[in-house]
Amino acid sequence: MIYTYAFVAIAACVAIERFHNRRAKATIVLILAAFLAIAPRFYGNDAVFSVLADAAVYVMLALGLNIVVGFAGLLDLGYAAFFAIGAYTYGMLASPQFGLHLPFWVLLFLAAALAALFGALLGAPTLRLHGDYLAIVTLGFGEIVPQIFQNLTKYTGGPNGIAALDVPTFFGHSFGASVMPYYYIALVGIAAALWISRNLRESRLGRAWMAIREDELAAKHAGIDVLRSKLAAFAIGASFSGIGGVLFAAKLALVSPDLFGFQVSVLIVSMLVLGGMGNIVGVVVGSLLLTIVNSALLPQINSLVDATFHTTVDLSNLHFLIYGAILVGIMLFRPEGLLPNRERRAELHHAGEAAGDA
Amino acid sequence: MHEFLAQLANGVELGAIYALIALGYTLVYGILELINFAHGDVYTFGSFVALGIFVGLRAAGVLHGAGLILGIAAALIAAIIASALLNAGIERLAYRRLRKAPRLAPLITAIGVSFMLENLIELWQGSAPVPFPNVIPNPQLHIGALEVGVQQIVVVALAIVTMVTLHFFVQRSKLGKAMRAVAQDRDAASLVGINVDRTIAITFLIAGALAGVAGFVGGVSFGSAWFLNGFGAGLRAFTAAVLGGIGNIAGAMLGGFLIGMLESFSTWLIGGQWSNVAVFSVLILVLVFRPSGLLGETLPEKV
Amino acid sequence: MKVLELAGVGKRFGALTALSNVTLDVEEGAIFGIIGPNGAGKSTLFNLLTAIYRWDEGSISIGGLSIAGLSTQRIARLGVSRTFQNLRLFGNASALANVMVGEHVLLEANVLDSLLNTGRERRERTEAEKRARELLRFVGVSGVEEQFARNLSYGTQRRLEIARALAARPRLLLLDEPAAGLNSSEKHELVSLIRAIRDGGTTVLLIEHDMGLVMNLCERIAVLDYGEKIAEGEPREIREHPRVIEAYLGAPA
Repeated sequence: MIYTYAFVAIAACVAIERFHNRRAKATIVLILAAFLAIAPRFYGNDAVFSVLADAAVYVMLALGLNIVVGFAGLLDLGYAAFFAIGAYTYGMLASPQFGLHLPFWVLLFLAAALAALFGALLGAPTLRLHGDYLAIVTLGFGEIVPQIFQNLTKYTGGPNGIAALDVPTFFGHSFGASVMPYYYIALVGIAAALWISRNLRESRLGRAWMAIREDELAAKHAGIDVLRSKLAAFAIGASFSGIGGVLFAAKLALVSPDLFGFQVSVLIVSMLVLGGMGNIVGVVVGSLLLTIVNSALLPQINSLVDATFHTTVDLSNLHFLIYGAILVGIMLFRPEGLLPNRERRAELHHAGEAAGDA
Repeated sequence: MHEFLAQLANGVELGAIYALIALGYTLVYGILELINFAHGDVYTFGSFVALGIFVGLRAAGVLHGAGLILGIAAALIAAIIASALLNAGIERLAYRRLRKAPRLAPLITAIGVSFMLENLIELWQGSAPVPFPNVIPNPQLHIGALEVGVQQIVVVALAIVTMVTLHFFVQRSKLGKAMRAVAQDRDAASLVGINVDRTIAITFLIAGALAGVAGFVGGVSFGSAWFLNGFGAGLRAFTAAVLGGIGNIAGAMLGGFLIGMLESFSTWLIGGQWSNVAVFSVLILVLVFRPSGLLGETLPEKV
Repeated sequence: MKVLELAGVGKRFGALTALSNVTLDVEEGAIFGIIGPNGAGKSTLFNLLTAIYRWDEGSISIGGLSIAGLSTQRIARLGVSRTFQNLRLFGNASALANVMVGEHVLLEANVLDSLLNTGRERRERTEAEKRARELLRFVGVSGVEEQFARNLSYGTQRRLEIARALAARPRLLLLDEPAAGLNSSEKHELVSLIRAIRDGGTTVLLIEHDMGLVMNLCERIAVLDYGEKIAEGEPREIREHPRVIEAYLGAPA
């Protein structure tokens, strides 16, 4: 069942990339949206929609990171830190931890703002750094944040985190135990993220990012405020992650520091690389594929293997091998990703000359 | 005072290990401007190879008397060779194809290689730390208020000898000069007849060998090997390389010892759970305020 | 009215003196050439004007305003645009997008406009695109709007870079060896293009090796040698100036 949904969504994405006619694209988007909104009434169960809601959160995260990595060309290896900040915002402010029970909807926006603020705070001193150094600094930040959440036991519940988070309500109606509200919210979130991504790509800011990505010095000579543009990318990208964090924490009703490690950051980078950095639709496909592999395909293969050979192997051990293989394989053999846009394809295939004199 | 000296000794020992790993980062970064993210896992691999030799020899019952000395040498040499080959293999299979790729591609690939290695080592050795066989005697020496194990002294001595050898190798030998030439300007080096591919491959061999020494030393001194050891140790060592001035061999040693001290004293004074925060804060601060490191030079931007 | 004023400008790199005591005024509406042998300090001079380097002595003003301490992007906002000796185009973006980046300083859309695709953003984009197409036509490369800059011929890339620089409507345009690598008919067209740019109200300061082109095009020329200005004047004066002849031909043989 889950494959039906994933297949429909991915097929629609591929079709959108292949069609050049704007009206055709719009039609496909509308049909897909209608399908994803209505089909659950007839087809599927909670387990399926739980996975799909998680997948949708990852799509949002990947779209956010795409703004940083794909648009502005800044490799952020600590993106999970902003996810953690979003999740802990909900965890601390909508739970018995402090007895504060702020509404879910308020916290969605607060988390976005907080994540953006931390993005800017991290970015302000570090965005002058070039390439690999910036990547390592963000990695360091990504390691520090969960560690701080773990150490400040008094406020964050320490290594155990915070449990029994509030169940969100919508105009007085509790979400209850159903996963459907999260599924729908995440869908709306994806729609908004897609709209914003497209706006940005075509905008003055988007062109500034392109210029910075291609040739930072030439960008400065065109009067672009490089630092501010990069900060904007960091802050906007982080805010997507903050919102994703709230959704994630509310659905799980739990936050703990081990949910936001380096592996999560690399997972999201892998989604981007798989789909094609900078390509909005490609990134959606990449993140859907990886989530489905992780939370549906691998467990199923696992139980199949166990049933056939009467074993108890644990294939979940293979996650990191898969991410690693994706990163290496795609970079070596298809750097533009599965669904490249034409700009990135050209860039990744002949970047030698341009990078030569940098 | 007693505790202070103990932490100092501990910091020096940790620092020696980080310095050995940091040299690998610095050599590779110096020549390719690539952060070889998988370097930490090459170190882990070296630990496990040494461990495997010890376990095998102990089972064969030869680890006593002269056999013990030979066994230690065998484990060290095996770790060196295995790590060197692994590192050079990674360069050959993954990085070499990406020499002309856009700047983010090699680093992303290196992270991928690191994840694969970690997972493969986990599949091979399990997800729990594996204890090192307790075969090497470690009598305690008392020097004034300072109490150190012979092992600690040997570990630090071995590291220092390795580093000094490396320093003279890079400064004096023909190969070392070729490495520096390639690091300065790859095209010019190839014009004067230096085989760039070979020089880079040898750099990876040497970096891997150093990781092998570190893997052996680290395994013996921590008493265990774990598939994720390389991640944390690698990041600390990279921080050390940056702190000292990346590309600078003396800087990597200095940085290694400083980070070892930082870890040792932060664990003592504010608790082990903060040592990660301390180390990474140093990394961020150094990169922000002095990206060229303590011993590095700043270079102007080219137009 | 002087667009650019340099007074006693000096720049050292360690022990090497790249420029020393250079004084230079460029009048509004001029086509001003800077020539000199390799290593004379021409490119260093451009790099001081766009704050790639900081000068050690003297002062530089643009439009009467000192640029001491200003960043590259602030100077661009003062109306100084440039091209580069080794082209620095955004290779993996369309020619049109390259020129639209050049218009950056003219646009006012802020981050919020960009996020929400507001009316201002859309209106500016439409206008920017229209102007970019006109500029491409003006420099003589229409028909390649949608092609990637990297796929264009060398001569076209040179013109595209000029279009990108012009897109900011600069009052001072710095051209760093604009004729390098062009054939003679392309050079001929370049001369008309630069004249047309000046006639449009932009002052042009150029570095060039092609002596014939400089003599033909520039109204005023300064000669640098070993970081010092050894002569300045009209082409005729420069051609006959003994120190210039010496600098170019070496010591009299």
